[in-house]
Amino acid sequence: MICVVTGASGGLGRALAAALVAQGQRVVGLGRREAALQASKTLIGDGFEPMTCDIADPAAVAASFARIEAMAPISVLINNAAVYPRRDILDETPESFAATVAINLGGTVACTRAALTGMVARGEGRILNVATFADIAPLPASAAYSVSKGAQRIFSRALVADLGDRFPGIVISDWLPGMLATSMGLPGGLPPETAAVWGAELALWRDPTLNGTVWERDRELPPPRSLKRRVADRLLLRRPVPARRLGLTGD
Amino acid sequence: MTGIATIGGAEAAQRDWDVLVIGTGIGGGTIGRALAEAGLSVLFVEKGRTVPGRDESPLDAAIADPEARRVRGGWPDPVLARIDGHESRIFAPLGSGVGGSSVFYAATLERPEPHDFDHSEARPHPAGGWPVSWAEMQPWFDAAARLYHLHGSPDPLSATPYPALTPPPPLGAGDAAVMARLRARGLNPYRLHAAQRFLPGCRDCLGRKCPRACKMDGRSCGVIPALATGRAALLERSEVLRLVGDGQRVSGVEIRHDDGSHRTLAAARVVLAAGALSSPRLLLASRSSAWPEGLGNRHDQAGRHLMFHLNEMVAAWPGRGAAGSGPSKAVGFRDLYFQDGRRQGMVQALGVDASYGEITHYLKRRVEASPLGRFRLARESVRLPALAAARLLGTAKIFVGLLEDLPNPENRVTHDAAAPGRIAFDYRVTPELHARRRAFRRAIRGAFRGQWPLLLGQAPDPNLGHGCGTLRMGRDPKTSVTGVCGRVHGVDNLWVADASVFASSMGVNPSLTIAANALRLAGLIVEDRR
Repeated sequence: MICVVTGASGGLGRALAAALVAQGQRVVGLGRREAALQASKTLIGDGFEPMTCDIADPAAVAASFARIEAMAPISVLINNAAVYPRRDILDETPESFAATVAINLGGTVACTRAALTGMVARGEGRILNVATFADIAPLPASAAYSVSKGAQRIFSRALVADLGDRFPGIVISDWLPGMLATSMGLPGGLPPETAAVWGAELALWRDPTLNGTVWERDRELPPPRSLKRRVADRLLLRRPVPARRLGLTGD
Repeated sequence: MTGIATIGGAEAAQRDWDVLVIGTGIGGGTIGRALAEAGLSVLFVEKGRTVPGRDESPLDAAIADPEARRVRGGWPDPVLARIDGHESRIFAPLGSGVGGSSVFYAATLERPEPHDFDHSEARPHPAGGWPVSWAEMQPWFDAAARLYHLHGSPDPLSATPYPALTPPPPLGAGDAAVMARLRARGLNPYRLHAAQRFLPGCRDCLGRKCPRACKMDGRSCGVIPALATGRAALLERSEVLRLVGDGQRVSGVEIRHDDGSHRTLAAARVVLAAGALSSPRLLLASRSSAWPEGLGNRHDQAGRHLMFHLNEMVAAWPGRGAAGSGPSKAVGFRDLYFQDGRRQGMVQALGVDASYGEITHYLKRRVEASPLGRFRLARESVRLPALAAARLLGTAKIFVGLLEDLPNPENRVTHDAAAPGRIAFDYRVTPELHARRRAFRRAIRGAFRGQWPLLLGQAPDPNLGHGCGTLRMGRDPKTSVTGVCGRVHGVDNLWVADASVFASSMGVNPSLTIAANALRLAGLIVEDRR
């Protein structure tokens, strides 16, 4: 079985790949930058296989996933790769905007679709989409990033709508790792290695009840409950299901 | 269950088939398999699709989008139901895909009683009896029970042995407690007859598709073994629009592929197995100069005598021993099957436990049916008693009594030339049925006395998954559509192999009878070819 991590040439992707390998997993890391991917390989060592692939190119994705499935069945896909160009809307062209969308949303769609072929045949698999809060309140100079990452979260929900009842063994979740000290994040953020331990645990957790769940850092974000629902639950002595946590098993 | 091979329309049209089978549910799947295994070449024509991979879709009435329903194997469009004059558009529990509705069924294949087929003074038959007797059917019941790997225990009340049954896996603690409570009431419970192979890791795929060849249905026990003979092929995504011919013979089947293209397949023999709500619709849609009233409808009988079972659901609390053991569809009894001269039916576990939500749903429907139903607050107020009920009952077991429906010519499948692909029917609950229903409900309540029985549902609840009788078998062409051989009266090469041919609805689930009759007809078709 193989775990595929996109954007494995640095930052959180490299850390996720390392955390999965540390758990004994065989990981294929996708990335555009060959030298940086090789650096990941040097750092992580055995168990990590770099594969150069531009996820914005659907043909390249299809070819890469065919190669991986020929090696071993894909059990986990972490859609991690993303770009955050930090560009004011007045500096965007429709083409530059679409290029960001092609990576952040298009890459997730292409990799997911490719991984699903084998997962559907086997009736099981795990897809973890690395997400952000950027779509809730977009920061200045983040239009293409916010829109594409927001759409990626909608894509997760649409996947569950299409597949959740038919293939309950294919478990799909969103994971928001929080602000990280990576090139995309902030210097004061969390070390990606810390977050990656949670991400790896979540990716290897196959409980079907995780389907459609959203996680922030190490905890589950329960779906929002309307006021009416909360009142009704109170009246009926119904307690909301407590949010789950990561990192609680073992030390 | 991956990779069911299909062929394209052009290839299907090039080859000569001994038999075209329309529909791939229990009837079509079983007869197609038997014919292919007997050496005939068979083309299955299926409106729906094969599904990719290890699909486990349940049949979900809440999914309304036709494309989303198609990929899940559900009938894509709502059914136009006129019940007691009230018209509604509802998603019936009908499949459209390889295996038809059966891929979703609970795999309960129960053998009918002799009085379901045979007329007698003591137990007069509502249609004067089937043209084939129970004794003639019995070897076919056995054959179908073996083919479908039936596991269960014989009904202690039955006088006829049932050697084809395989002993079931051991009963769980909860079901054993249920059985003990029923026995203590003087009843004769037995293990329901399940078309499941109980392979290691069996998850009881009741109400949803089984991803393995464990649950036996029209797909796993019909189409797939038929294709394995090398003599059968599957044409999917192809809706039959009408049958064409010259009066005595059907010469072809006009189909529309789901890309919108049309084609007519030549046919030496045709077996219609589209289900009791669709088979008559196709005959009525086949109106032509050769058949001005529709095919097989010279005497205005096609589509009439539509029957459903009325589902009588009861929540019962069998006691601590059964608590928390999880739902299973393991136990049933026939003590109420025929009482005081009344045809009623068997009672069986439904395979669901009563959750708070389900009880709420039923109580809500009960309030909605009352004058209070106009007030939203009243509807919501049922939540509190429901909560009390759920607490009192804990995990109640739900049982369902299948009340036999009697043939009535005014209850019928209808055909609208403006919407020929739509399933539509007109059905009334007769005063006779209302009266028998009241008696059956009383009897059910009595059977569960001491187990806090709560009858769920106030209005009659026709089981739209159990439709039958719409092309019924009989000896007289004036009052039936098909003959004892399942052949449409006056047509040499057209057979019907689904529940349409039922002369009565019986007091059991229809699937075993459909399968047994399909095997019987297959033998007759093989003879016809010689």
